[in-house]
Amino acid sequence: MSGSLLFQSLVLGVLLGGLYALLAAGLTLYFGVMRVVMIAHSAFLILAAYLAWYFNDQTGWDPLLSLFVTVPLFFAAGVGMQRLLIARLRPATLTMMSVLLTFAVALLIEGMIGLIWSGTQRRIQLPYSGSNVEFFGASIAVVKLVAFVLAGASLGLLYLLLTKSRFGRALRATIQHKEAAQLVGIKTDRVAGLGFGLGLATAAVGGTALALDATIYPSLHWHWVGPLMAIIVVGGLGSVPGTAIAAMVLGIGQSLLQVEFGTTWAQTLFYIALFVTLMVRPQGFFGGRLAQRF
Amino acid sequence: MASEPQPGPPAPLLVLDAVEAGYGRAAMVLRGLTIEVPPGTVVCLVGPNGAGKSTVLKVASGLLKPRSGRVLVDGQDVTGQGPQAMLASGLAHVLQGHSVFREMTVGENVLLGAYTLRDKARIAERAEFVRELFPIVGERWKQLAGLLSGGQQKQVEFARSLMVDPKVVLLDEPSMGLDPKTTATVFEQVVRMRDAGTAVLLVEQNARRALETADLGCVLDLGRVHISGPAPELLADPQLSELYLGGRPAEPSRPRES
Repeated sequence: MSGSLLFQSLVLGVLLGGLYALLAAGLTLYFGVMRVVMIAHSAFLILAAYLAWYFNDQTGWDPLLSLFVTVPLFFAAGVGMQRLLIARLRPATLTMMSVLLTFAVALLIEGMIGLIWSGTQRRIQLPYSGSNVEFFGASIAVVKLVAFVLAGASLGLLYLLLTKSRFGRALRATIQHKEAAQLVGIKTDRVAGLGFGLGLATAAVGGTALALDATIYPSLHWHWVGPLMAIIVVGGLGSVPGTAIAAMVLGIGQSLLQVEFGTTWAQTLFYIALFVTLMVRPQGFFGGRLAQRF
Repeated sequence: MASEPQPGPPAPLLVLDAVEAGYGRAAMVLRGLTIEVPPGTVVCLVGPNGAGKSTVLKVASGLLKPRSGRVLVDGQDVTGQGPQAMLASGLAHVLQGHSVFREMTVGENVLLGAYTLRDKARIAERAEFVRELFPIVGERWKQLAGLLSGGQQKQVEFARSLMVDPKVVLLDEPSMGLDPKTTATVFEQVVRMRDAGTAVLLVEQNARRALETADLGCVLDLGRVHISGPAPELLADPQLSELYLGGRPAEPSRPRES
């Protein structure tokens, strides 16, 4: 592999890692606050991508503008999903049952997308779709850069919200000790609902970012479930910075491997990382000390 | 019961009246239990495992709704309200074991105790008060709470519970897992909380040590109050000592693991 190609892959890996980090942050929220494993996260991601494409297709406007619709919509859907579905699961078996429940939701969304927009592959064509920028000799697609900035900015906002706001403190307290949080007067059910909404809002942002640069089809979300699950396990379940680091490392790794072995084999990196983590450090590589911290 | 400015026992701050409570479909844990906490006192609940000591506190703080009976705070019926409402009525609960928010600083922990307060000046005033009452809290303000020793974490929890200036603070096994020296400190803090104007309802496995600290004692068995009275009297009762306090009164007190 030549030096410039290596650098190019490295940069692409960072860009991909940013998107992974944002999406994994959503998963971390669900698991951290509610011990919910959210299989349907990537289905919502693809749904958001479809909405962005449809928005662009119908109006001709930039798909980024669809965020003004999808983010509030997904936030509301998340709150609703937590209150109406997740909250009804028995606490003792919540984690396991949430897998089944959200699996069903994922199938539902996939079917719905297929029904409305058919199985045809879709791609957004933008005036700047083909443009590249030169970055120290590496050629970077503008759309990838936009996606990265979007993901990075959202992750930054999420971080600020969690660390600086009253709601963020309540959410962290709920993650760290639910009963003690109730005893200082935090309505943990409400916090859980809002946390879920926030998680789904990351899927809305991620989906839009994805739509800028990817060909989408209804079953695409299955390609995302594995990598995202691997990322949050490697990062230590419940740790936002941990997952961000894991997302970067694996994103870069995937991008580098892709050059040598092609897309399919590069994907196995996630599963290898998952197995190694479970064997060597089941609490995640950034669990323990960093876990639950924001 | 209205409080009257005449001699005699003052109206209790907290009353649990004929409370029955239990978990799920399992058998009742509390079976018609009645307890009163007068102002300015430390009331201690002792009794064997499974007597329902912790359940009493959960009913009082709203974590568990009673099936029947009443909970009164300052004469007001607050039966069946959730933790947030109970906190607003003046009941703060410190859980068994460690319940600090481990990955937050001591300061964040203490300030979260004032989560329901909005008045910034009031919060600052309370923070100053608890830092004075528990100096370790001020010293470790910027450190992660999860890194403190067990005894220090307990004090952070005490401080957090006092932020709302509760009428009664409910302490569930504060000496659990602590060494004898730290246990002594924690019991000193309990007395300081009382002297600072907060009544205390204390649950302890370490019965003898707790009764030495308390003003009043209640011996629980099978979900009812078996015997109650001034703590020194309970301590002096040889039969009671044999049954519930693990040995004769002459024996020097020693902390027991729960």
